[in-house]
Amino acid sequence: MEKINKKVSSVIKQIKKLYGNSGDLNTRVIKIHGVDVGVLFMESSSGPGDISDRIIKSIDFLTDGDIYENLYEHLKNNIFNSQVLTTKDFSRFAYYLSSGFTIIVVDGHDEAIVMETRAELDRGVTESTSEPILRGPKDSFTESHSKNLGLVRKRIKDPNLWFDEVKVGKRTETRVTIAYLNDVTDKNTVSEIKRILEAIDVDGILDSGNIKEYLLKQKSTFPQILSTERPDLVCQSILNGKVAIIVENTPFVLILPNVFIDFMHTSEDQYQKPVNISFTRALKVFALIVTLFTPAIYIAITTFDQTAVPDKLLISLAVQRSGVPFPTFFEIILLMIIFEILREGDVRSPSNMGTSMSIVGALVLGQAAVDAGIVSPIAVIVIAITSICSLIFNDIDFMNGIRAWRFIFILSATFFGLIGLVASGLIWLLKLSSLESFGVPFTAPFSPLIKASQKDAIVRFPLPKIFRRPGYLNNNDIIKQGGKDEK
Amino acid sequence: MKNKIILLLVCILMVCGCSNYRELDDLAIITAIAIDKSSDGKYELSFLIANSPKAQTSSKEGEAKTTVFSGKGKTLTEAANSVDSKSPKTLYYGHINVVIISEEIAREGFLNIADWLLRSPETRKQFYLMQSKDTDAKNILKIVEPLEATPSQSITSLIESNINSQSITTTISYSPFIEKVLEKGYDPILPSISVDGKISKGSSEKNLEKTEPTSYLKLDDTAIFREDKFVGYVGRKDSQSINVLNDSVHELKIDFKHEANDIVYTSNSIKTSTKLVDENHVKINIKGSGFVSEVNGKVSLEKVSTVKKLEKNLENALTKQLYKTLDKLQNEFKCDVFGFGNKIYGKYPKIWDKIENKWNDKYYPKLKIDINADLTIESSGSLNRSIEEVRS
Repeated sequence: MEKINKKVSSVIKQIKKLYGNSGDLNTRVIKIHGVDVGVLFMESSSGPGDISDRIIKSIDFLTDGDIYENLYEHLKNNIFNSQVLTTKDFSRFAYYLSSGFTIIVVDGHDEAIVMETRAELDRGVTESTSEPILRGPKDSFTESHSKNLGLVRKRIKDPNLWFDEVKVGKRTETRVTIAYLNDVTDKNTVSEIKRILEAIDVDGILDSGNIKEYLLKQKSTFPQILSTERPDLVCQSILNGKVAIIVENTPFVLILPNVFIDFMHTSEDQYQKPVNISFTRALKVFALIVTLFTPAIYIAITTFDQTAVPDKLLISLAVQRSGVPFPTFFEIILLMIIFEILREGDVRSPSNMGTSMSIVGALVLGQAAVDAGIVSPIAVIVIAITSICSLIFNDIDFMNGIRAWRFIFILSATFFGLIGLVASGLIWLLKLSSLESFGVPFTAPFSPLIKASQKDAIVRFPLPKIFRRPGYLNNNDIIKQGGKDEK
Repeated sequence: MKNKIILLLVCILMVCGCSNYRELDDLAIITAIAIDKSSDGKYELSFLIANSPKAQTSSKEGEAKTTVFSGKGKTLTEAANSVDSKSPKTLYYGHINVVIISEEIAREGFLNIADWLLRSPETRKQFYLMQSKDTDAKNILKIVEPLEATPSQSITSLIESNINSQSITTTISYSPFIEKVLEKGYDPILPSISVDGKISKGSSEKNLEKTEPTSYLKLDDTAIFREDKFVGYVGRKDSQSINVLNDSVHELKIDFKHEANDIVYTSNSIKTSTKLVDENHVKINIKGSGFVSEVNGKVSLEKVSTVKKLEKNLENALTKQLYKTLDKLQNEFKCDVFGFGNKIYGKYPKIWDKIENKWNDKYYPKLKIDINADLTIESSGSLNRSIEEVRS
């Protein structure tokens, strides 16, 4: 802690030196009956209108004679602002100024008044672009921390919704809020998360993606933390006893601990008919299997285990393959890499370039390559099915995890056929079941099998019949509905 | 440690990886095999290769043009090797659908060649076995059929559709055939196939261009075997009877006479049970229900008494047909295709030991067989009275 100089002019000099005469640093000294009152704020991060309207006015209009004796106390009590703090620590000045606070220092006092005068530097609450849904609340998180907290708080009005705040990053001092239900969520999980966050010793955190990497201990291509920009999904998770980590300046909120089946779910699942949702989820599981294994199975059955294919199909495949100059493996890898490049390019390129991209992709690489006899039509079909099925999941980390394992499966099928594919599939299952985050097995509720949690795993039961929170979360209070258990 | 694991992985991938690797387009997929005996006493093997890219332009539609490769040899392996040296692609035996043997091979005894097909680990043992009638087996492979892409497919679908609709032919895949040959007191049968029309015309693509093909494949009489040796053919009626007696009927159509009118009866639920009274006497019970599918003449099916009379005539017609077939097989061919001997072996093994050697020639022809048919007419189709009846 660094003491505040009692002389206003030297405080201002100190601050100016700290910021190296940055143009947006504004210092104003007002003389009231011979006493210097310094008003310090950052033009860029605070709203100057606010400052002149409220603060300068309330200082300028001090007319009552008695108050000059006790000018500091009077200012502290009478300034029009909802958030007034005091500090005796000069080293906090930079944080307050950069965050858009206004600091008032008065000659002869080693305490400063700090007021919130933040500027609106973010977009408003808009519709989610990365996780669009058909039915359900359409708002999404923004870059404003207080707005994000507000979007959660207004949904869960229980005071047991606690926001624990940790500042991460030496230079960015990013506010990271851990949101959870105090009487439901496992305390150990919260304190473990807090411990990890406090131990982070890095100069800057700019997105929740940075935090993610510190929270994971095990190596895996599959993400164990869900990130979403949907406040309703965050609230669903918090109500289930999970922990949400809301990071300043990013619309992506982290939810943990997370299990594999959560990637088959969306927030919309809770708003539609259970039967239809169960069908959709089954479809997603099917798509997952298809997107993981199709290219590998194709390679295995066409280069090793032809006996496994029905006659007519095999003849049709063989005729399509004849004349293609590359081995099947190379053909598939080539097409997959081209598709990945196309996808990456499509994401990064501005939307007005997307059309030319798809024309090149669909016509040139698909149709023309087949016509030219460079790839076989069936290989294009295999890759098309694979990529369509991978697009059903909207979590980019999850999609990339699938992609990595797909390549592993393709390699093992190329070298060892169906046997290799089965072996690497087993390795995949082993790897998945070995993962855990914050004491929760990644493959729960299937392994370990938790019967009560099957009601909202692949099949979704009607909401009136789901009494418990997910059983794998070590919650203090597992009853979700009705006050009574179903047993 | 980590480096060692990586080295190990690289070794695994490089050393034993591609032992079984073969690209699909390097394979010649054999879908049918024909086995003939050539004039110089050698075996002649013909392979039908389904994926020969005769016309690359048609490959996009997945349409395959077939090729037949033949080779001769003292052993079947030698013959196969001589085919292999003609084919630019590796011969692949995993998808054989049909094996056709010529009459000559069948007469000499099938077991001579059975070994080669069973021994190969690559072949499925579920392909159909057939005998070619009145022509060489390899000619069957050459016929281009209008309705299916390859001859082997047309043969298999010919067989499969026939099982379900007519039961006038028998079907047998390879392993059960061998089993029957090896079993005691059993003589196997095989379906035969022949070419209707001129072979030279049927083997060119021009056969496809006409609305009425000049040549096509036809399921023919059933070949009767004594042990593994071909003895003779029986016709369609007899084939049907054999199927009824063997309880392998899916759909039975019988025509019979009632007051000089021709009536056809169809049944989908024929059940046959064979019971041994003693080693000289067999009782066969046939039960079934069905409907009248064709009436030519003035017959009204509205009266119960008429239906009862019809049922009587029907049962008589069936038993008469069955007895005729039994007579042929017992006295003419002396082939126990129904496995009565096998039943005696199962029930009276000691007696069987004594009669086994003379079974086909002495005891089987004398076997007393009682047939009791119990067929019911449950409906008369969509009509109650025949058209002629309504008119008069």
